[in-house]
Amino acid sequence: MTPNPAKRDLGNVLVIGGCGFLGHHIVNLLLSYKCKVSVLDVRTTRNRRPDSDGVSYYDGDITCLSSLIPIFEKIKPAVVIHTASPTLAGGSRELYKKVNVDGTQCVIEASQKTNVKALVYTSSASVISDTVADLVNADERWPVIPPAAQTEYYSQTKAEAEAFVISANRSSSKLLTCALRPAGIFGEGDVQMIPQMMKVYKDGKNNFQLGDNTNLFDFTYVQNVAHAHCLASFALLQTHAISTPVLDHEKIDGEVFFITNCEPVYFWDFARAVWRCQGNEKGTEGVWVISRDVGNVLGTVMDWGMWMIGKKSKLTRREVRYSCMTRYYDCSKAKRRLGYEPIVSLPEGIRRAVKWFEDEQAKEGEKKGQ
Amino acid sequence: MGLLKQLLYFSVHPNQLRSVIQWKVWHDPVHQRNPAKESATLKECFHYLNLTSRSFSSVIQELNPELLVPVALFYLILRGLDTIEDDMTISLKKKEPLLRNFQHILEQPGWTFTENGPNEKDRDLLVHFDCVITEFMLLKKEYRVIIADITEKMGNGMADYANNAEFNEVGVDTIKDYELYCHYVAGLVGEGLTKLFVEGQLANPALMKRPELYEAMGQFLQKTNIIRDIKEDLDDGRRFWPKEIWSKHVDKFEDLFVPQNLEKALNCSSEMVLNSLRHGEECLFYMAGIKDQSVFNFVAIPQSMAIATLELVFQNPAVFKRNIKITKGDACQLMMESSQNLRTVCEIFKRYTRRIHAKNNPKDPNFLQISIACGKIEQFIESIYPSQDPKALHLLHKSADSATVAESEKNKLSQKESATDTLYLLLAVVGTLLVISGLMIGAAYLAGANFDLAFTELRKGNFIPKGTYSTIPQQDHGEL
Repeated sequence: MTPNPAKRDLGNVLVIGGCGFLGHHIVNLLLSYKCKVSVLDVRTTRNRRPDSDGVSYYDGDITCLSSLIPIFEKIKPAVVIHTASPTLAGGSRELYKKVNVDGTQCVIEASQKTNVKALVYTSSASVISDTVADLVNADERWPVIPPAAQTEYYSQTKAEAEAFVISANRSSSKLLTCALRPAGIFGEGDVQMIPQMMKVYKDGKNNFQLGDNTNLFDFTYVQNVAHAHCLASFALLQTHAISTPVLDHEKIDGEVFFITNCEPVYFWDFARAVWRCQGNEKGTEGVWVISRDVGNVLGTVMDWGMWMIGKKSKLTRREVRYSCMTRYYDCSKAKRRLGYEPIVSLPEGIRRAVKWFEDEQAKEGEKKGQ
Repeated sequence: MGLLKQLLYFSVHPNQLRSVIQWKVWHDPVHQRNPAKESATLKECFHYLNLTSRSFSSVIQELNPELLVPVALFYLILRGLDTIEDDMTISLKKKEPLLRNFQHILEQPGWTFTENGPNEKDRDLLVHFDCVITEFMLLKKEYRVIIADITEKMGNGMADYANNAEFNEVGVDTIKDYELYCHYVAGLVGEGLTKLFVEGQLANPALMKRPELYEAMGQFLQKTNIIRDIKEDLDDGRRFWPKEIWSKHVDKFEDLFVPQNLEKALNCSSEMVLNSLRHGEECLFYMAGIKDQSVFNFVAIPQSMAIATLELVFQNPAVFKRNIKITKGDACQLMMESSQNLRTVCEIFKRYTRRIHAKNNPKDPNFLQISIACGKIEQFIESIYPSQDPKALHLLHKSADSATVAESEKNKLSQKESATDTLYLLLAVVGTLLVISGLMIGAAYLAGANFDLAFTELRKGNFIPKGTYSTIPQQDHGEL
């Protein structure tokens, strides 16, 4: 498999957003490499490593270039891994634009000005999804959805930021860049996918199925995504060290890569595997199957009905679309060029994630009990 | 099935009948053997082929003439070997040297074997084995070498198993042992056939560099048969399901057949199905390397039958009670679809994969693994026959993009236009109203209307004229 990471020297690594969901997993994994890890985040109080691990934490705002430069100058990173972004749900348009687009431009500029060698950007597999059309075994040849056709503003800002990162490759400095597009990240500390699915089971609403469940979907365990970031960082540094040009089919700088678990599954099977981990003993008997069309009508009615009484609908058209959509990718480019292979299988990833959330809830319960 | 039973069955399953008729009427073999040109011994060989094989004899006889005889003889030789191995009336002492030296027997003209038990179903083949040897000696040397090599490997493998007391008493232990057994009885066949195909220039020589692909072909068929035949094998005193798998679900192998343990038994069979299903992608990949239509049919038909059988046995309690088979109609349908091209075979695989997925039960410990295995087969098929074209998507976005730009400009223009139009229309309406009202009010004024009175009444709140102002005389004029 992959060579021993302890022998791979990454030098000074700065993880921007290193206290976030994906970011802190990257930090964890980097600790097994030969490198000095620093973290820059808006809030460095959560997901912190113990001091004994020697990770330096810096509070900072990536949308403010003048505050970034001194931090970059102090750390002198060889590698910058930029993974900071508001989550898909809950951010405002302004926030997405400010952090994803403006923030990323600041990071690029700071990297160029402080002679950073490699910048790895966490993009999103959603940049090629218009949230309606299916994506069947899509790879890097698929077009990025133009702003006019993109209905998800988050994805639009990720695509814009990705384009800035890629165009910065070998442009005004020796900075090499690449972007990773993970699909459907889940795992310990996840704030969207797993908690939502677990809540559905807790609320006893797991006896519905939207669509016919023949749609394959990519869910990617967070440590695999973190692993890909480490591989990409190392690969860019290697490219930086050699003077001869790299062959086109081996190129890593200036490239984008889809990252998945390489195990697409039928959408509801993933949810059912989560519920099973939570202790669900039931099979699919007694499950109501709501077809895509009926679901759309229901979703529309619920959307408007709840909007009129000033609440947020629990069944939205967006949810109906997502759960009926085929959306899986072919990540063989990452396998070929980065040597990427998932290190944790999907079932193991689900088991770990559900256990983590249950442990967290138990801890909270204890706190309340005291 | 009796004729009456068949008639009854088909009268309620017209689709099945349709498939059978279609196969019988429309199937057009790529090649047909010509018995008129065959020697007496070769005819005899084909006679035994028909006797010993139900499923393979027809596909073999439609093979490309280059490989027709070598493959038929290869089959008969392995069948002969199998008939010695299977026969429990032959002592181990006698059996072992026969198995280990069968490749040399192939070079002994006139060799026959009459010591099989009377109940051994294929004993006739060995009694008349000299005809096989005669024809074998006439083959091209290259083919003889390949066949002898596989015979040697398989004979030695069988002898090892015959010697293995543990295997004979308690059955297969680990998954590794299970796969080794399948390698000896099926993987080697895949190897030999592939070498024959490549030697005969009917398959891509690159297949020789991918042993895992031809191994998968054999493993997939053998494992699927082992799952299906569990009851029959148990009745014959044989156990091929590895202990490593069944011990996860039940304590004793026999417990699988106890009705109260049905759920555990089904979970166990699911794990067996999963183990077999994982060869699906490699089998499809292998078939992509076949160049000749008759060879393609020869390899694809058994594979399609296997994926359909796998779907049939999946989550099916009947496997623990009796031997089950896919229906004749389904078999004909599958033969029809598999004797076309890789695409139609991929469609079969996708169809049955989705049926397996539909039967997959979240209660099953291997639920997610099975879902992943199904997904992998679908993804693999998509990788060879993509349903989306990135170039077309690029064009779509470009045209949509330019269309939207042009359209939105047009829209803006037309919106502007319509806005001014509306304004003019409103002005015209209001103007007309004003003119007409003015004229009418003016005429009324000229005619002596008292607008001041009307206004005072309106101010008082009397919107409806009262009787006193009525111009209609209220008095009764009756007196007049």
